[in-house]
Amino acid sequence: MDIFSNLLLGAATAFQPINLVYAFIGCLLGTAIGVLPGLGPTATIAMLLPITFGLQPESALIMLAGIFYGAQYGGSTTAILINLPGESSSVVTAIDGYQMARRGRAGAALATAALGSFFAGSVATILLAVAAPPLAAVALNFGPAEYFSLMVLGLVASVALASGSLLKAFAMIAFGLLLGSVGTDVESGMPRYIFGIPELYDGLNFVAVSMGIFGICEILRNLENEHERSVGVKKVTGLMLTRDDFRRIRGPVLRGTALGSFLGVLPGGGAMLSSFAAYALEKRISPNRAEFGKGAIEAVAAPESANNAGAQTSFIPMLTLGIPGNPVMALMVGAMIIQGITPGPNVISEEPDLFWGMIVSMWSGNLMLVILNLPLIGLWVRMLTIPYHLLFPAIIGFCCIGAYSINNSVFDVFIMAGFSVVGFALSKLRFEPAPLLLGFILGPMLEENLRRAMLISQGDPTIFVRSPLSLSLLIVAVIVLGLVLSPSISRKRDEAFTE
Amino acid sequence: MLKIRNGRDFVGGAAMVIVSLLFIWFGRDLDVGNSFQMGPGYFPVMLSLLLIGIGVLIMVQSLVVTVKGEPDAPANWKAYALVILAPVFFGLAISRLGLVPTMFLMIVTVSSASKYADWRHSIALALFMTICSVVLFTRLLSLPVSSFGPWIPFLGN
Repeated sequence: MDIFSNLLLGAATAFQPINLVYAFIGCLLGTAIGVLPGLGPTATIAMLLPITFGLQPESALIMLAGIFYGAQYGGSTTAILINLPGESSSVVTAIDGYQMARRGRAGAALATAALGSFFAGSVATILLAVAAPPLAAVALNFGPAEYFSLMVLGLVASVALASGSLLKAFAMIAFGLLLGSVGTDVESGMPRYIFGIPELYDGLNFVAVSMGIFGICEILRNLENEHERSVGVKKVTGLMLTRDDFRRIRGPVLRGTALGSFLGVLPGGGAMLSSFAAYALEKRISPNRAEFGKGAIEAVAAPESANNAGAQTSFIPMLTLGIPGNPVMALMVGAMIIQGITPGPNVISEEPDLFWGMIVSMWSGNLMLVILNLPLIGLWVRMLTIPYHLLFPAIIGFCCIGAYSINNSVFDVFIMAGFSVVGFALSKLRFEPAPLLLGFILGPMLEENLRRAMLISQGDPTIFVRSPLSLSLLIVAVIVLGLVLSPSISRKRDEAFTE
Repeated sequence: MLKIRNGRDFVGGAAMVIVSLLFIWFGRDLDVGNSFQMGPGYFPVMLSLLLIGIGVLIMVQSLVVTVKGEPDAPANWKAYALVILAPVFFGLAISRLGLVPTMFLMIVTVSSASKYADWRHSIALALFMTICSVVLFTRLLSLPVSSFGPWIPFLGN
């Protein structure tokens, strides 16, 4: 089997001391930001991207990936202990996890979350190793038309899975694509929308844009209804699970892992949707569903497994096709481009060390996270006592330096400030920022492939339906769209997001 | 007579239409070309037209559908201004004052955006952030920023 030699190759990269150190730093940071409410992985990764410029590509990506899945672990800690989800994907964990903690079973809930996450992470890693190469092999045959259709599918799916109004999500995609057209036109070399500003020849910097929209904008929202957190956490004891606990979580962990792995692959999916779906599923089929909401261990095990599985499998489309499915993956694509790697199906064959190293590091990172989270739980609880009024100035400080260091220019700092206003206005008008960033990242790729495809076909738009691959991708996009527009599904969708 | 049932969406739709019109106006000199050989203006113009369409639909929807939305949190203009102006100050001051005074002043000032701010905490945090950023960025990452800029007598360079 090829896969073993590949995983060995990955292990050689992932277990290099320096990469282990960066994986550890990533997991540590990820857990920290997961614990701290008001600071999410998107903002953190955007903030740290400039720091990774000087690192080896493997180390940089291993660390950034660690932040993302580490946040899934950290988020559950606060959800369970103080009923405050540190991360959007832990919202449902808080329901029963906190009830367990109130009944003196905080240790068991934390252990369930960590072990479920570890199991899900290991399965998702294997899935990633098995599924990625064949997918990339298919994608190697992609021409411009297929790429265009694939990106259309990705954008449509991201709308389907976003919360709130569909029309508004489409508006955000179009707005994002428009923002992506700022800068020098690739085909003709004509400058577009640059207003004589030399820094704009390369387009808007997406790190600065996402720091504004996700980092600073989040602070503006948090300061609106600021209230002191009163942290009354009792000492956590009893991390061991009983035999009965193990029997009860077996099924939910397996189902959560399966569901999360599947939903994570979908564009626009990822950790949050997975945890909601897993909770909803368990609530329907669990023999102990009467206990749900009152501290059922199943209701902690399923969403926690699902969000970690989803976080991990969302790397699949990014690594194999170069298509980011969520804002964090978009930032990872950016990190690769900065390192001189073109994301896409060629990564596996051209950068096998990087690709397999990253996959193996996800497994070792998950192991580190179990170790970090269970015995060190006291440390994370202490971190909760850092008040927000000391946290947000530090975030602003790091964002400013981060934006400055992208190109050693203050221009990106101003862009960041500008987009914090844009993001804030959009959030006031109830527009979701995630599809905007996705459109912004995919915009230049989408345009390039559209124009190439039309050149090849000499202006005949049927090229998109003549190729069987492209046609099937578009058909899937239409089906997704149809599903979303159908009234019964959209009602279910609303329920899922309000629950 | 038509009544606006969802003011927020009406404004949102109108904002999208305005954004598209701006893109069309500022891209008016770009060659649109045709679908065979698309010019640099083709993609943005098509998208702008699409966005106008979506914006109008959102506006129409806001006239027809009533939505129960949760009310907005009360505006906190002082916090908005401080948080948005902090990076602007940073951008303007960094090359003139240098990293140390810029970071210190920015953190102390922006801290007051919180109603729980305490000047002793703010100064301690500002000192901590200043030391951290100097060590991390000028020493470890060797960014081309000086700790003290030309506007600071004696220390600056």
